[in-house]
Amino acid sequence: MQLKDLAMMFSSLSSQFGVSSYRHSPPFHGAGVPSGTRCEYFPVRSAPPSMAPHGFGRDSSPMGRPCARRKLRVKHFMEGVSLWLVVLLMLFVQPLYAEASTGREDSAGVLHFVNAKGQWQEPALVLGSDFDVRVTGLIADSRLVRTFRNTSDQWREGVFVFPLPETASVYGLTMKVGERTIVGEVQPREEAKKTYEKARDSGRHAATVEQQRPNLFTTRVANIPPGARVSVELNYQQLVDYQDGIFELSVPTTLMPRYMPGEPLATSPQQWKGGWAVPTTDVPDADSISPFTVGVANVAADSHRASLRFTIDAGLPLAQVSSPSHDLATELDGAVVTVQPQAGKIVMNRDFVLRWQPLAGQEPGAAVFQQRWRGEDYLLAMVVPGRAGKTRLPRELTFVIDTSGSMAGESIRQAKEALQMGLETLAPGDRFNVIQFNSQPHALFVQPETATANNLARARHYVSRLQADGGTEMAPALSLAFQSQKRGADEQLEDAAPRVRQVVFMTDGAVGNELALFSQIRRQLGDQRLFTVAIGSAPNRHFMREAARWGRGSYTSVQDLSDISGPLARLFAAMEAPVLTDIKVHWPGQSASVQEDSFPQRPGDLFQGEPLLQVVRGVPAAGELSVSGRLPGGGKWQRSLDLQQAASGTGLHRYWAREKIDSLLDEARIQAQEADKAQITRLAIEHSLMSPYTSFVAVDATPARDLESALLKDDLPTLLPAGSQPGMARYPQTATVAPLLVALGLLGLMLSFAIALLQRRSYP
Amino acid sequence: MNRLLLLLITSSATLLVFGLWIPLKAVVAQELLEIAWAESQARQTESRPWPWADTWPVAKLSIPDLGDSMIVLAGTHGESLAFGPGQMMGSQDPQDAVIIAGHRDTHFRPLKYLEPGNELRLQSRDGRWQSYRVHETRIVDSRSEFIDPRQLSADTLLLVTCYPFDSMDPGGPLRYVVEARVQQTDTVAGL
Repeated sequence: MQLKDLAMMFSSLSSQFGVSSYRHSPPFHGAGVPSGTRCEYFPVRSAPPSMAPHGFGRDSSPMGRPCARRKLRVKHFMEGVSLWLVVLLMLFVQPLYAEASTGREDSAGVLHFVNAKGQWQEPALVLGSDFDVRVTGLIADSRLVRTFRNTSDQWREGVFVFPLPETASVYGLTMKVGERTIVGEVQPREEAKKTYEKARDSGRHAATVEQQRPNLFTTRVANIPPGARVSVELNYQQLVDYQDGIFELSVPTTLMPRYMPGEPLATSPQQWKGGWAVPTTDVPDADSISPFTVGVANVAADSHRASLRFTIDAGLPLAQVSSPSHDLATELDGAVVTVQPQAGKIVMNRDFVLRWQPLAGQEPGAAVFQQRWRGEDYLLAMVVPGRAGKTRLPRELTFVIDTSGSMAGESIRQAKEALQMGLETLAPGDRFNVIQFNSQPHALFVQPETATANNLARARHYVSRLQADGGTEMAPALSLAFQSQKRGADEQLEDAAPRVRQVVFMTDGAVGNELALFSQIRRQLGDQRLFTVAIGSAPNRHFMREAARWGRGSYTSVQDLSDISGPLARLFAAMEAPVLTDIKVHWPGQSASVQEDSFPQRPGDLFQGEPLLQVVRGVPAAGELSVSGRLPGGGKWQRSLDLQQAASGTGLHRYWAREKIDSLLDEARIQAQEADKAQITRLAIEHSLMSPYTSFVAVDATPARDLESALLKDDLPTLLPAGSQPGMARYPQTATVAPLLVALGLLGLMLSFAIALLQRRSYP
Repeated sequence: MNRLLLLLITSSATLLVFGLWIPLKAVVAQELLEIAWAESQARQTESRPWPWADTWPVAKLSIPDLGDSMIVLAGTHGESLAFGPGQMMGSQDPQDAVIIAGHRDTHFRPLKYLEPGNELRLQSRDGRWQSYRVHETRIVDSRSEFIDPRQLSADTLLLVTCYPFDSMDPGGPLRYVVEARVQQTDTVAGL
């Protein structure tokens, strides 16, 4: 810009001077004046006194004439040279500014927070989030209002990639523009996209929300007027986690930039859409799940702040409400507890985790909820098996720790601490191994070693030296962990005692190829169990939970260093304790359709303190639910639940539909087939749910933007999770203004010289 | 008119002086840095080239094929790049890939003559010379590409400067990246 202006200025200057020189010396440049006559005429008119220092003038002697003529010739020559130099310089500068301005148009509107010079600019949209969560019994119903405020004077389209709890069922979208409220509807994904794009291009207000991963969504808001705000309200519900007498609910606010394994697909940077990653062979949608991650300082001071409000109606007297992530301001009103972060609005760079605990001895051991929706009965039952005796078996434990770059900072410290704690739980008869992985896996021992003091000391030393760096290639690490245990298994033939084989996997789950990893876990698992420990302020909980489920283990999340001991102690206790297997659930009314419509269809094994959750459609609240299982010693465990005592609940049908969709997706995954898209779409539309194949879209009826004014797209960045180190670095600014200054200086001097010469001729 | 002319001449001359001051500073600073480098090698500490400097020498880069060598400073902020190429200080881990950025108008102007196969040598504070071989040179657009140190293997040396070399625009988006890989094991200086 600067350069262009300067160049323009100089060109206009030079043209002015050019014109003036023509005007002031017509005989010189005048057409038809023979060059020979010039010498006679010229000195008479414009020989300056300074150029005739020896007193040569009009009346000077003929002797002086040749000398003056020579001087004039020199002057004329100099004049010509300097003018030509100016012209040459102009030619030189011209392509430069032309070059500087190319490539500016192609990216206009694509990426606003990096300007044409590659420097950071604050996004024009300011984002506010407001969570209102109501917990009743086991279900938490959330209303999330995202407000996009346009601070620029152009029309904007806002795009924001955001996480939601991994078990969330999104069931509503409402857009608010000024006074008007537009209720969104669920549509098949492709259709919703078309509806939105049509509305956007015709200038109407529109909003859509799409599911990229079960815990990762994209919202788009079109035609935000300059200076105005548009808010998008999202309704979702999720099941509250209940384990060991503690309820837990997490509200993710940001996401860790994920590692995209695989070779980049052949796409040119021009096609680059909204994320920092390019699609790869393993993660073809990498660009849509990789929003830019920036530090808090890089967004407006009031952007990326969230207000939260929890209303907990647990139906039980509560002993304690706490949060490992934030300070709380708690208000008790009868049996209802209202919780808010003490600081008011929180910065969206750390998941908000809330825990509440019933009074000792009042922890629920079983619960039933029922709901009637559109003439169908839905039941949700929870049973906690309780302690099932303690017979400790010798174990073979493999710790896998993620030392990739995304773990750098706070996360790796947590993971190391967690691993050290894990090593402490080893008993003398156990075997163990430690595997770290980033771009490549590396194992401490070639095969699992006995937990002798010596080996443990080696392991401790190894762990303390770990550093986070490199990629996140999980697949080879998992293979190594499962194989290393297999090799151990061969040796066990000599070993009389059977060993319990377990893998503890500590990571932030920052990968984009989750599905491939789940199927790998399923293939290689054998008789082992995989326990996942989620690390960091914004782990990929969906990956952690599902990996544990496919690995027939359990999932624990650690919030920060101070919070590490509680959850891990519970995990390691659960790992040591025996497991309830072969669980069978029997609903009253033994018809095939009822069994088909109860989820999960094959309940996994239960660890100590873990509840069994079942949801069913088409069973009225009458009769008995019986649950049976097998204890590790071979004994039988049985429990029955009176369904008549069911409390009424809400949103059970959505939970049921989500479970059904998940089970359909699971089946397809096991059979390595394409999921039944039509059935899932039908189910999702019936229950008004978001799914991989359905999206929400809300469109205003009347156009707001006249199509003359342009619409600019703003991809909103997410905040870097607290405590993590920025992985991606920007290219630094590596040029000085020296050449420009030198060129301008020379140009200016040249110009002055030319002017001086002309001036002398013009004003003798 | 004469005054205007005088003004034009003075301002142009000032511009010229400022323009020439930048490369001059870059050359003079390198001499001072040589001393600081020798001192930090001798004492094995960070020694600042002048008391108010907010950077210090961390390595010495030598390009034998071009007969050029320079002291590398810590950090890639404008203040350090004015005096010498700067090493990006993401993590202090010596196992990491080394990323050095320099001004295309001063220290890293010779980069345009580098070709795959050329040798680069980097001396660390303990006096060891690490030898690298240029693997490839490429041009990146800093608007759409980022440096991801996690994706780089530990034996990589990246030299970054602005592109095109003859451009006058100090804020252009293009960068010229020379990627070099470790060639052989360390040799101790003087042996």
